[in-house]
Amino acid sequence: MTTEVITDITEAEQGSSLWHDAWLRLRKNKLALFGGITLILFVIIAILTPWIAPYSYETQNLDLGATPPSAAHWLGTDIFGRDLLTQIMYGGRISLAVGFVATSVALIIGISWGAVAGYVGGRVDAAMMRFVDILYALPFMIFIVLLMVVFGRNILLLFLAIGAVEWLTMARIMRSQVQQLRQQEFVEAAISLGLPPSTIIRRHLIPNALGPIIVYTTLTIPSVMLLEAFLSFLGLGIQPPQTSWGLLISYGAETMEEFPWLLIFPGLALTLTLFSLNFLGDGLRDALDVRRSKD
Amino acid sequence: MATDNSATRWVGPLLAALLALCVGSCGFNESNVAAGNRDGVFHFGNGTEPQSIDPHVMSGSPEVNIARALFEGLVTRHPHTMEMVPGVAERWDISEDGKVYTFYLNPRARWSNRDPVTAEDFRWSLHRSLHPQLGNQLAYTLFGIVGAQDFATGRNTDPESVGIDVLDDLTLRIRLNNPDPYFLSTMGTYPTYPVHRATVEAHGQWTDRFAQWTRVGNFVGNGPFVLSEWKLNRRLVVTRSETYWDREKVTLNAVVFHPIESATAEEKMFRAGQLHFTQLVPLSKIPGYQAMDNSPYQQHRWQGTYFLQLNVRRDPLDDKRVRQALALATDRQKIVNTVLLKTEVPNSALVPVNTPGYQSPPAPDYDPQRARQLLAAAGYPGGEGWPGMEFVFNTSENHRKIAVVLQQMWQEALGISITLANQEWKVYLDTINEGDYTLSRMGWIASNLDPATYLNIFTSESGINRTGFSNARYDEIMLELAPAEADPEKRNALMREAEAILLEEVPLLPLYTYNSKHLVQPSVKGAPPNVLDVQNYKYISLDPAIPVWKGEG
Repeated sequence: MTTEVITDITEAEQGSSLWHDAWLRLRKNKLALFGGITLILFVIIAILTPWIAPYSYETQNLDLGATPPSAAHWLGTDIFGRDLLTQIMYGGRISLAVGFVATSVALIIGISWGAVAGYVGGRVDAAMMRFVDILYALPFMIFIVLLMVVFGRNILLLFLAIGAVEWLTMARIMRSQVQQLRQQEFVEAAISLGLPPSTIIRRHLIPNALGPIIVYTTLTIPSVMLLEAFLSFLGLGIQPPQTSWGLLISYGAETMEEFPWLLIFPGLALTLTLFSLNFLGDGLRDALDVRRSKD
Repeated sequence: MATDNSATRWVGPLLAALLALCVGSCGFNESNVAAGNRDGVFHFGNGTEPQSIDPHVMSGSPEVNIARALFEGLVTRHPHTMEMVPGVAERWDISEDGKVYTFYLNPRARWSNRDPVTAEDFRWSLHRSLHPQLGNQLAYTLFGIVGAQDFATGRNTDPESVGIDVLDDLTLRIRLNNPDPYFLSTMGTYPTYPVHRATVEAHGQWTDRFAQWTRVGNFVGNGPFVLSEWKLNRRLVVTRSETYWDREKVTLNAVVFHPIESATAEEKMFRAGQLHFTQLVPLSKIPGYQAMDNSPYQQHRWQGTYFLQLNVRRDPLDDKRVRQALALATDRQKIVNTVLLKTEVPNSALVPVNTPGYQSPPAPDYDPQRARQLLAAAGYPGGEGWPGMEFVFNTSENHRKIAVVLQQMWQEALGISITLANQEWKVYLDTINEGDYTLSRMGWIASNLDPATYLNIFTSESGINRTGFSNARYDEIMLELAPAEADPEKRNALMREAEAILLEEVPLLPLYTYNSKHLVQPSVKGAPPNVLDVQNYKYISLDPAIPVWKGEG
């Protein structure tokens, strides 16, 4: 009897790592799967755009002007007679890049900052979190504008600047998670086993805090994309003829009564991306929740 | 004169949507226009929040629209005939040689505190307007007066040296350096409006730019209306003056100036019956309005030019051939016909097309072939070796469209690339005033029909020549020969010669002559469109019998 149980446990432990379990659970979640596939599709399209775009994104046909969707232009043309599908494809490159790069920057800074503060605690924690509070108090738009003015307009810098102001909330979430987890037995066990703090943070704390982080990440990406559109509109981000979804939407909104397709299609692209991110995020959170019983 | 600042804002659509929501849900409330028609209150869309209502400090259209209600000059322009008609002066004499103007003031003219308006008020106010410490940007428009330039530039600190004399309480004499056929219309513009001395001095120095005398309660003016309410970014209200000399003619009880920057929001408000008159009309809405029967849309040729400024001190525009190539590779007709939906008039010269009595010299037509040759001669064959160039413009939908079109037009015709940069209006003004740009845009709206108003911009002594252009012959004509020429034909010939120099040297690249565009409620009477796009509220009335126009469908 006893031996049997032991064998069972060994089998179970061997057969499913955290990630394998998560994948099994995620596969059952249809919406999350749909989100993931859509995102991967969008990313592939964005990467291949220079080769597969039906038209050049800057060539204008002024005499054609804005036309509704047709066989030649599937999504219609803008007021300069440029193919909207091409615009959306090129805009997606910028928007997705901003979304992922800036969010990654925010994630890396936010998670490490929050985890260290939460794990070390005490005065270090107080100092680190007051620093976050101070940055919170700064009007972040002005901060970005200042960065762009001092260092000049540059897309890469734009990514970094946005990421550099978006990590604050992430740091707070991470800290509260870590503080909670620190009290738990398995962390105490790890400490008493003599594991170095960096290993504890990496192996035990971060994976256990993934749920809220993923949810927050899926919320950060859209807000970053919108921030980029706002900055570009102010003349601090992307300048014509380059474009992004946010810019296409803000231009489209101005003529939404006359040329609705100029708002609808870029809006659809952005909405679809955001939905996919949210579905995937939800699915991942459920899948990665280690506190759920392993079934 | 006013610079064009039609900034469309990001918040526009949002605001408009909120507004539409409110209009939908608070539908039982009477609209501004319906109430206004009944009570004689004119709701005027006025672009941006005014920086100041001091006529010697302002320079933008929203401010001037308000000043015209609050002040009155010696003469004023009749909005229907465009003639100069009596303002505070009931009549005037011009000497034989055209150099001495004598104004006889109306003894019934009163300030809003019932003080009489005197010749001394005008003399003091003109001194103030010219005073170097006040920093009036438009002081130069008065430089035709003897000694005015020396006083305004600080070369002579004695205001008595300026050729403005008080002969008695009601007689003012002004002496000019040269006969100027447009001087009378200058005396109707806001830099010459009188301000009330005791009031100004009660609230600070006479050269304080932003003193409290312009606030509600402190304010004293001499116009057909007085200031009665000023809520920042919400509204500015003026009500009928009880002391104005011609008050019987004024039929409006009040004018409400609404500061609405976004053309889209303004149009929505108009459709909701909240405005009688809009400052702008969104370009994309114009075809729809044009196609309507009984359309509230009014479009009229306007004395204004849209042009690009080329910094002749910056590489690569320091080469004349490059500038000429850009001009030749610009297809104005196409820009106007396509992205501007034919709402403006292409113009290849600086002075607006159809300026009465003046014909600009011919400019070369669109010729990309010749443009390529010139660019090759300048060392950039087919765009090879082109160092790049930035085009700066103030944030606005229309400027952006034009920039995007030019970018591609020059890329195709010349093989050169330019980058675009938009800036907020005030930042933009700093940029171009400091000459910190290569290529930028400008719109110039004149307050009279004199071609010299435009040509004077590009003399080397002009404070608004931001291109670095300087040409000895040009300066000679515009600063010495043309002002001294009494024969209008010869004067025009001189100015044509000067303009031909501009077209050859290309410190500016004109694109089009403006049309003014407004939406006007059918109940508004006495506000006909005109070439200077000025309205005199004194002549405006509202017909309560005409229903509110709220759009069709």
